[in-house]
Amino acid sequence: MSDKQKEATSLIVEQLVQSGIKLVASLPDDWIAPLIDAVDKDSRFKHVPVNREESAIGLCSGAFFGGIPSLALMGASGLTTCIYAITKINYSYHIPLFIFATLRGVIGDPRPHHISNGLYLTKLLDSISLPFLLVEERKTIERIPAAFKHCQAMNRPEVVIFSEAVLLGEA
Amino acid sequence: MDLRDCFKYFAGRQGDGVVITSAGVTSGTWWRTTHDMDQVFYLGASMSMISMFGAGIAMGAPKLPVWVFMGDGAFVMNPGMLMVERDLNLPNLKHFLVSNRVYNATGAARLANAKRNDYAAIARAVGIERVFEIDSLEGLHSQFDKIVSEPGHTFTVLEVEPLREKPGGVPIDDVESKFRFGRYIEKKAGIKIFRHPALEPMNR
Repeated sequence: MSDKQKEATSLIVEQLVQSGIKLVASLPDDWIAPLIDAVDKDSRFKHVPVNREESAIGLCSGAFFGGIPSLALMGASGLTTCIYAITKINYSYHIPLFIFATLRGVIGDPRPHHISNGLYLTKLLDSISLPFLLVEERKTIERIPAAFKHCQAMNRPEVVIFSEAVLLGEA
Repeated sequence: MDLRDCFKYFAGRQGDGVVITSAGVTSGTWWRTTHDMDQVFYLGASMSMISMFGAGIAMGAPKLPVWVFMGDGAFVMNPGMLMVERDLNLPNLKHFLVSNRVYNATGAARLANAKRNDYAAIARAVGIERVFEIDSLEGLHSQFDKIVSEPGHTFTVLEVEPLREKPGGVPIDDVESKFRFGRYIEKKAGIKIFRHPALEPMNR
């Protein structure tokens, strides 16, 4: 990992701390693997690796009733598999849920299997009125606590979506 | 074993703990048995996620017993949940698998591989140490304390007959359910969930 990437990862982690996040449930995408590693090694968080993104939705939604501020950390593809869980649990019961995801399939992402994410991810979120914060510049990272607060105030899910350049510390 | 008798037994011994039920006959039968709306969260239409949901509560309220009643139709959608449960190994989380081998609420179509599915073996295979299989009320009576009263995460298969008559739904608004359940946990576990404290009961 480059120094720039370490710095960007560290900045994101500090925003989580500032938000009061205590629990992180994750399933990796290669772009967020360093962030998952950083959270795992940081004693300020309880990190729970899950084996299906919907399990992260379930765990974090339950953690709301356990009084634990939490984050579901996943890739773009994982998020698209969670529409049922999010709309059935978080929309029906008005349970806030904070999610980090990746902006896959856009210009600069060479992986053909992420094309559908580039084409549909943000449109899909718009179609279910799921608010998201697009983080394509480093300065936007500092808005993470505001996004978390907004999520709690709305009693609804909210997603923060990171570009690769931001995660690599190059934007 | 008849699910209604089984739930009557559990309900009589629930104490201060909370219950999470999955969609379908599990929720409907618990409601018909208890008419409770405070110590239970009927997590409708969220198949396979209730043990993770219960784990989130159990983590935040470690002294509060959390019982999860999951139908096997929900379980087979995500058996990988057991690996996460084992990793967490939460002592106050008790996972009960209500196994009737059919999708009871949606017409009783059989589950894939229904007769051969060995749920207890799956749990043991991922390293869960305290696994129980109950197929009679007598068995439930004799094992209950071991499963529930002793600390430690447990996974228990409750083999029940499919219900011929559907128990019906649970007559509570989802958002009201959130507040009633959450207020109960706030009070019993002494934790803060909602931004504002509970209002005093209305006098008029």
